[in-house]
Amino acid sequence: MKMPSRTRIAQLTRRDFVSGMMAGSLLLPRCPLFALPEAPKFPFEEVAPEKSGIKWVHSSGKSPEKYLPESSGPGCAFLDYDNDGWMDIYLVNSGKCDFFTPNPPLRNALYKNNRDGTFTDVTERAGVSARGYGQGVAVGDYDGDGFPDIYVTQYGRSILYHNNRDGTFTDVTEKAGVAAPGWASSAVWFDYDNDGRLDLFVGQFAEFSKELNKPCGIHEDGRIHYCIPKVYSAMPSWLFHNNGDGTFTDVSKESGIASRRGKVWGVVATDINNDGLMDLWVSNDTLPDFLFVNRGKGKFDEIAETAGAAYSDAGRARSGMGVDSADFDNDGWMDLFVANLDREIFAIYKNNHDETFDDLASSTGVGKATKFMSGWGLKFFDYDNDGYLDLLLANGNPDDLIATLHGEVTYEEPPLLFHNTGRSFENVSAQSGPVFAKLLSARGMAIGDFDNDGATDVLVAINDGAPVLLRNTIGSQNHWLGVNLVGTKSNIDAIGARITYQAGDLKQQRMKVGGGSFLSSHDPRIVLGIGKRTKFDWFQIQWPQPSGKVERITDLPVDRYITIVEGSGKWK
Amino acid sequence: MYRYSGKAAFFLLIGCLWSGPILLAQQSKVAATSRPVLTPEKAVSLAEQGHCRESISGLKRAMVPTVLAEMRKQAGVLGVRCSLAVDERESADEFIRLLNKQFAKDPDVLFVIVHAYSDLSTRTAQDLGRTAPDSIAAHKLNAEALEMQGKWEPAQLEYEGILQKDPNARGIHFLLGRVLLSRPDAGPNAPDRAKQEFLKELGIDPSNADADYILGELALRDQNWDEAISRFSQASKLNPNFGEAQLGLGSCLVAIKKYEDAIPPLRTAEQLMPANPEVHHTLATALARSGHKEEADKEFAIHRSLTSAQGSERPE
Repeated sequence: MKMPSRTRIAQLTRRDFVSGMMAGSLLLPRCPLFALPEAPKFPFEEVAPEKSGIKWVHSSGKSPEKYLPESSGPGCAFLDYDNDGWMDIYLVNSGKCDFFTPNPPLRNALYKNNRDGTFTDVTERAGVSARGYGQGVAVGDYDGDGFPDIYVTQYGRSILYHNNRDGTFTDVTEKAGVAAPGWASSAVWFDYDNDGRLDLFVGQFAEFSKELNKPCGIHEDGRIHYCIPKVYSAMPSWLFHNNGDGTFTDVSKESGIASRRGKVWGVVATDINNDGLMDLWVSNDTLPDFLFVNRGKGKFDEIAETAGAAYSDAGRARSGMGVDSADFDNDGWMDLFVANLDREIFAIYKNNHDETFDDLASSTGVGKATKFMSGWGLKFFDYDNDGYLDLLLANGNPDDLIATLHGEVTYEEPPLLFHNTGRSFENVSAQSGPVFAKLLSARGMAIGDFDNDGATDVLVAINDGAPVLLRNTIGSQNHWLGVNLVGTKSNIDAIGARITYQAGDLKQQRMKVGGGSFLSSHDPRIVLGIGKRTKFDWFQIQWPQPSGKVERITDLPVDRYITIVEGSGKWK
Repeated sequence: MYRYSGKAAFFLLIGCLWSGPILLAQQSKVAATSRPVLTPEKAVSLAEQGHCRESISGLKRAMVPTVLAEMRKQAGVLGVRCSLAVDERESADEFIRLLNKQFAKDPDVLFVIVHAYSDLSTRTAQDLGRTAPDSIAAHKLNAEALEMQGKWEPAQLEYEGILQKDPNARGIHFLLGRVLLSRPDAGPNAPDRAKQEFLKELGIDPSNADADYILGELALRDQNWDEAISRFSQASKLNPNFGEAQLGLGSCLVAIKKYEDAIPPLRTAEQLMPANPEVHHTLATALARSGHKEEADKEFAIHRSLTSAQGSERPE
């Protein structure tokens, strides 16, 4: 990986130290001679439910029959549903379906951000409890009214909630025509045809029902485990075209999306060939992953095989789960990531600029760190605001009895944190505190700055457990700028926008991808870190098509959030 | 220490001796040559009653084509069991040969033959332990048995013991290296220690292609491409039919983007291992990235057909 050299964070000089000691001894004569060492500062700290007010707990309804959907959820989201500038939280739960009748009923949860580090459950008033067997969530302003709408994927029938702009939502699934009956997994909003409106991709996992449940999981330990999904039939996913009138047209077949049957877990909308058309990187369980390249005129080619991104190096299909896409080596081309099951290692694909990719799992240390892990939620983001995209992974084995089969593998697994050094990635999990030693049955993961301090926080959804909210404690030690992009001619969420910025010797690029992670949706704002540099020299945005307009802005503030409306040429 | 494991592994193997449900009856002292000719039915009946020595010649005669198939099959199976029960290994071999020839696709027969071979293997191991207990071959066999049982430490001690007796014994450093790579408790520096063993092996026996191959795999894992290419090339030179070495060489060349150079060894690997999906996948990648689209598509198609036939490769 070739990356610009990283400016070292200024170290405390010996002179600083001596003068500080002297000043201290003069000003604070009663201080002890030797100060107690400071507690180590770790990048993330867990916010306890008692402190956040998030008391909701996921329940999968795990049964003796081991119905497979019990092992996969849930997802979660950061979203600003009331447009007050503070990130709220949406959490997906299981619910009634053909194999599960919870008593009392279960529901999803919407938590309003109280702007003081606490949240209030507003689900009932908002009308977004769903109550089906939920899997994930995708947030997008599909009608361009400035308020985010919520798409909840479910096993059975998914739900589109339209934001009424008054703190409530209306289920418009039937009218919109996006129910996607089946086992929907991850979904993403993106504008595939560059008409300025957000379309919707919905991944479908395998063909499944209570009747189709297979007693296949009896292993050598004599116990019933969750099935390896290769016993279930692959299914086509959905692509819904936004008609601009509150309805959608199912274009799965004519677009080529339904031409490939998969067992989809993760999806991210990105642009792998810089042609201004959004592509889809899609993970499949026990089948080759998909890379749907958008060829324009509503058509996609699936090229993962020739791109070198379908299989492991040994040509084996893996159990693809969480995915993301980012230009982690800052060469102007979007790279890819997919998390897999234990003993498969995860893949981090570098873009070769010719619709092919090379897996850098070995050279980056990702392979070694993930050998016995099973990854779900994951995201590239700059947790320390030094200007380089780092990587956080939330893990957990799908089989709750896995430890009885494999000594090296556990059901609950710790998250992993990779720091981007500017040249490669360094696994810093071990030195990043108790959060990264905590065993979790993690599934979805969303990133978002819930306290608006510029340090991107993390929300991890837990299968059969309370969500884990991680507050970022170090991002705000560096300088940053948070950018909220509002498309006018291009899609309002600016999915596909490209940002380039310069601060002194640091010149970086970002793309606003759609989705990524697993079953989850993220803070729509982009935080740009500049390390210890104190000002931005300039900032350039290339808006998505149909405008494709390029706007360059100077005189930017620092350490705050701004909004840039397409065509305005300025920030506010 | 060297003698610690002694006959432990042999003992366990002996415990697996198999001779089917034959309970030997009191053996007749009458010489076989003086016995009357038995009908197939009588031979089978005698064998079933445990009169093995008396029945074997009759059972052999019952295997002729004029006898009904079911009777021949019964005679053959009993012949194998009786021969093993009285340790007449040549007879056992003969019954196995006849059964293989006449009932090659019969699962019951194949089941019997599997066990018979296993039994014969164990008896031969016993012979080795009995006749040359301190030979290198005996200790090697014992170590291999211990390895199969996952008894890594005693196996390693056996190999080390052989080297104490004969520091230049061929193949032992290779096996020690293999143990180090196999045992899950070998520690984080096991690959480095194993590497030293493989190098020592090549010092004793420079023609050991397996040692070069594993050194190539270790170098590939460490992305030490030059070393890996050199090792795989040498292994391929030493053993031109070593498909895995050709594949390793091709994979290294693909990894360093020398796609055209990767094609010849991968084509060779393809000839040697046509049913190996990894070969076709790697070859397809090399072809695609060197501009041979049509050939690449063919290889991708073969890869797809092989992997779909095998189902998912997800580890169980």
